[in-house]
Amino acid sequence: MCVSNSFQKIITSLQSFWIDQGCVLLQPYDLEVGAGTFHPATVLRVLGPDPIWKAAYVQPCRRPTDGRYGENPNRLQHYYQFQVIIQPSPEDIQNLYLESLKFIGLNPKDHDIRFVEDDWESPTLGASGLGWEIWCDGMEISQFTYFQQVGGIEVKPVASEITYGLERLAMFIQKIENVYDLDWDGIDKKKGGKTYGDIFLQQEKEFSKYNFEKSQTSFLFKQFNDAETECKNLLDDKKNLLALPAYHQCIKASHIFNLLDARGVISVSERQSYILRVRNMARSSCLAWMGKLNE
Amino acid sequence: MNNMEKSRGNLLLEFFSEEIPARMQLNSEIQLQNLFSKSLKQRDIAFESFKTFSGPRHLSILIKSIELEQKDQEIEKRGPRFDANQKAIDGFLKSNQLKIYETVIKETNNGKFYFHSQKIKGQKTYEILPDIINEIINGFVWPKSQRWANTDLKWARPLRNIVLLLNDDVVKGKVEIGKNLFLSFTNFTFSHRYSDQKIVINKIENYEQLLEENFVILDRNKRLDKIINDASYLLDKEKLKLVNDKSLLEEVVGLVEYPNILIGSIRKEFMKLPREVLSTAMRVHQKYFSITDKKNYLESKFLFVANSIKEKDRDFRVVEGNERVLKARLSDASYFFENDISNTFENWNEKLKHVLFYESLGSLHDKIIRMANISKIFAKEFGVKSELAKQAAILSKADLVSEMVMEFPELQGIMGGYYAKIKNEHEEVAKAIFEHYKPKGVSDDLPETKLGSLLSMVDKIDTLVGFFSIGKKPTGSKDPFALRRNSLSIVQILINFKLNLSLNELLEPSLKEYGCSSQSIKHNLIDFMIDKLKYVFSNKSNRMDVVNSVLNTIIFNDIPMKIISIRIDSIIKFTKRNDFKIFLANFKRINNILKNEKFSNDVVLKVNTKVFETIEEQNINNLSNTFLKRINKEGICEKSQDIMINYLIKMNEPISLFFDEVKVNHNDYNIRINRLNLLKNLHNSISKFSRFELIQD
Repeated sequence: MCVSNSFQKIITSLQSFWIDQGCVLLQPYDLEVGAGTFHPATVLRVLGPDPIWKAAYVQPCRRPTDGRYGENPNRLQHYYQFQVIIQPSPEDIQNLYLESLKFIGLNPKDHDIRFVEDDWESPTLGASGLGWEIWCDGMEISQFTYFQQVGGIEVKPVASEITYGLERLAMFIQKIENVYDLDWDGIDKKKGGKTYGDIFLQQEKEFSKYNFEKSQTSFLFKQFNDAETECKNLLDDKKNLLALPAYHQCIKASHIFNLLDARGVISVSERQSYILRVRNMARSSCLAWMGKLNE
Repeated sequence: MNNMEKSRGNLLLEFFSEEIPARMQLNSEIQLQNLFSKSLKQRDIAFESFKTFSGPRHLSILIKSIELEQKDQEIEKRGPRFDANQKAIDGFLKSNQLKIYETVIKETNNGKFYFHSQKIKGQKTYEILPDIINEIINGFVWPKSQRWANTDLKWARPLRNIVLLLNDDVVKGKVEIGKNLFLSFTNFTFSHRYSDQKIVINKIENYEQLLEENFVILDRNKRLDKIINDASYLLDKEKLKLVNDKSLLEEVVGLVEYPNILIGSIRKEFMKLPREVLSTAMRVHQKYFSITDKKNYLESKFLFVANSIKEKDRDFRVVEGNERVLKARLSDASYFFENDISNTFENWNEKLKHVLFYESLGSLHDKIIRMANISKIFAKEFGVKSELAKQAAILSKADLVSEMVMEFPELQGIMGGYYAKIKNEHEEVAKAIFEHYKPKGVSDDLPETKLGSLLSMVDKIDTLVGFFSIGKKPTGSKDPFALRRNSLSIVQILINFKLNLSLNELLEPSLKEYGCSSQSIKHNLIDFMIDKLKYVFSNKSNRMDVVNSVLNTIIFNDIPMKIISIRIDSIIKFTKRNDFKIFLANFKRINNILKNEKFSNDVVLKVNTKVFETIEEQNINNLSNTFLKRINKEGICEKSQDIMINYLIKMNEPISLFFDEVKVNHNDYNIRINRLNLLKNLHNSISKFSRFELIQD
C-alpha cells in the first residue's frame, strides 16, 4: 500500500491543507463528545468575540449506541472526525472543500461528487444549520453546514462547518470494505505496520460491552446531576462568570446522557426532558461566553 | 416592423447559487414566473411569453419580447363641479398650480366636472429592472432558507451570481444582500463542476445551448427525458425494466445537472432479503432505482443517475464505488434482519409498553390492547375469525421497535408481516399485519384481505377516536395527526365491504375503550365521519344531491353503512323515472307548505282523527303511519330499498287527491292545524328514509 493514503497521512494532509487556508490548527478537546461540533472552538467561538475565526482539528467522537462489539464493518462507537470551522463563510468554500479532496488523493474529476440536502440540527446544543451531505460515488464522505444558530442564538456572521468522516473517507480512498482493515500508517504489516483493527478492535469490543451492559446507571444518573449542578453553580456566580468551565460540564452531561441512552434506561417521555436540560446548560454557557447571560 | 423590433427585446435572468435542495426546485420556477409577471404587470410593461429552468444551481427565466419602455402613465385628477362657485375653481387651480386652459370639462355619471390629466413619460425597462429584481428576491419564499457570511438576505442556499441581460446587454445594477453587500448583475454563469468554467453569455438565444455544451441541461424535463430514454436503452436490450418510482425520479432530476445513467450489481447473498428491504435501502439512502425482469421479479441489479459525463474509466470507478456503498448498507440491513429474526414478538410487545402512542393516550402497548378488543367486536362483520382478528391486532405494532423499522420507518407493517410469517404465525395474520397501513391515501389500494382491512380500520378508528377524545381534532389546514386521511381510509373500507354497521356501532366500542362518554365528542366524530362519507359517496356516484339527501336523514347515525350505500344507489336509479318525479314534486310541495308555516312549540304533532272531514285525510294518515312502521323494519333491510321507494311512489295518487280535495288553509283553526300536522307527520316519516327536498328535479 502506498504511503500517501494511510489513515494518518490523510489527517496530516488535511491539516496542512487547512493551515494553508489560514486556519489555526487545534488539538482534540479532552472530553468525550458526540461530534466535532461540541469542541468549544466551534460552539463558543462562532459566537464571538472575533467575527473572524478559522480553525481545524481532529476530534475523536463517541456514540455509545453505535457500538457493535467490533463485529460490524462500518459502525463504531468511537471514531474520528476532521472538523473545519470558518467564519464568516467564504465565498469559495465549496471549491476549497473540493480542492482539499485532491490533497488526500481524491480528484473530484475522477468521481461523481454530489451535494445532497441535509440540514443539521443538534437538539442538545440548540444548534441548527443548513447544508448538505457530500457524496462521492454514492458514499457520504463529509457533512457541510452553514451555522445559523448555536445555543438558540443567531450566529452572525454565518460560519461554515465542514466535517470529514475520517474512517469513511479513508475506506473510500483505500477501497477497503471493513473499517478494521484500514491501513493506519502505510507501513508493511511484516515490518510492524498497523491497521485500524490492530489499534481499535479491542477498544470497540470492550467499550461496546461497557456501554450496553456494564455501566452503572445509578452512578451515571448521579454524574449527570452533578455536572448539571456544577454548571448551574458556575453560572449563578454572576461576579465571576466562568463560561468555559460551565460549558465543559455541559459536554460531560451530554456524554453521560448518551451512555444512559445506550443502556436503554431513559424512557421516551423522559428523553425529551434530558435533552432540554443539556440544551439549557449549553444555552446559558453560550450566553455567558458572550457576556449576555444577565440580559 | 423595424419599429416593433426596437420597442421590444428578450430578457434573461439567472440566479446562480450553491446546490438548492431537489424538492424545492420546481416550485422555485413557478414562483420566479409569478413574481416576475406580477412586477411587470404592476409597471405596465408587456411581454409575450416566459420560459423557466431549474436545476441544482441554475434557476432562470427567459422572457420573450418584453417592451423596452414602460407605457406612458396617465394620472387624472378630478376638480370641482362645472357649475361650482369661482372660489372652489380657483382653489383647485391654485393648489395644483394650473391655468384654466390646462383643464378639461368632462361628463361623468354625477354630472360635469373639471379635470386635469397629466402624462408621465414611461421609464426605460432597463432603468426599472433593478427594482424589479430586488422585489422578486425579497418576495421569494423558500420552504427553508439561510443567511451566509454577512448577509441579511435569506436564500435556500448561498446565492452567488445573478445574470441579467436585456437584448443581450448586461443591465447595470445590483441587488442588496446585506449591509453594504451587493451582487452586481453579470453576463456570465458557470459550467458543470467537472470543468468549472466561467461561461459568458453573448446572446440570450444561445443560453440553453451554450450551457448544454458545458454539461448543464437547464430544462428539468429534458433531464427527465434523458434519464428515461437512457435507462430504457440500457434495460430494454436485457429485457429488464425499471420499477416505476415517480417521486424518486423527480428527486434525482433535481440532483444532477448532466444525468449519466449507470447500472450496478447487488451481491447474490443479499437477494434473500425481503424485496421491500432491498428497494427501501437502495431508495432511501442511496436514491437507487430497483430493476425487475419482465415477470416483475427483482433483479440483482440497481440503476442510478450520476452527475457526470460518460467516460468509461470514470464510470467503472463510480459504479464500483456505489456497489461498495450498497454492500455496506445491505450488510447493515442483513444484520438488522438476522437480529430481528432471533428476537420475539413477546419481547417487542414488552418494549411497546415504554413507547408512547401519544401524551395521555397511553403507550403503543395500550393501543394494541384497545385494537384487539374492538377487533373482536367487528370480526363477524368482516367474516373473519375473532381469534385471528385479536391476534393480528396484538402483533400489529411489534415491528415498530424492531431494528429494521427503527432504521427504515417506511417498512412498518411490511416487516411485521414478514416476521410473523417467519415465526409461523397464521398466514392470514401475517398478511393482515403486512398490509394494515393501507390505504395510505384516497388513490392508494385497499388491503387485499378481509383481516387486513379489519386491522387497518380498527387501527385508524382507535387513532381517530383517541385524538378526538383529547380535543385534538383537525382545525383549518392543520391536521398534524393525519386524521382526515385516516377517516377517509375508514370510510373507503366501510363502503368497500358494505358493512352492516352504523356510525354509532362503529364508534361506540372505541369510545368505550377510551372511557369517553361525552356526547359532544361523539357528535363531533360523527359529523367528521359524515363529511368524509359525503366526499367518498359523491365521488363514487356523482350525485351529491342524492348523497346529501340520504346522509342528512335524522336517524342517520343508526343506519348501517351497507343500507346507506344501497339506498343511495336505489334512489339514483329511480330519479330517472317519471312516477318518481311526480312523487318528488308532491313531496316538495308538502315541504314548501310546511316551510312557510311557523310551527310554534305549543302545537303538538299529534293528529286528531276525529277532526278529519274527508277520506283523503284518513288515507294520508294511514300512509304516514304504515311508512313509519316500515322504515323501522324493512327500512334497514338491504333488499327492501327499492320496495320502500315503490311504496313512496304509491303515495302519488292519494297525495294528489288530498291536494285536489282538501283545503289545508281551512278557516277553522283546529282543522287547519290538524291538517298541517298530518302533512308534517308524513314529511317526518319519509325524511327518515331520505331528505327528498335536497334532491334536484
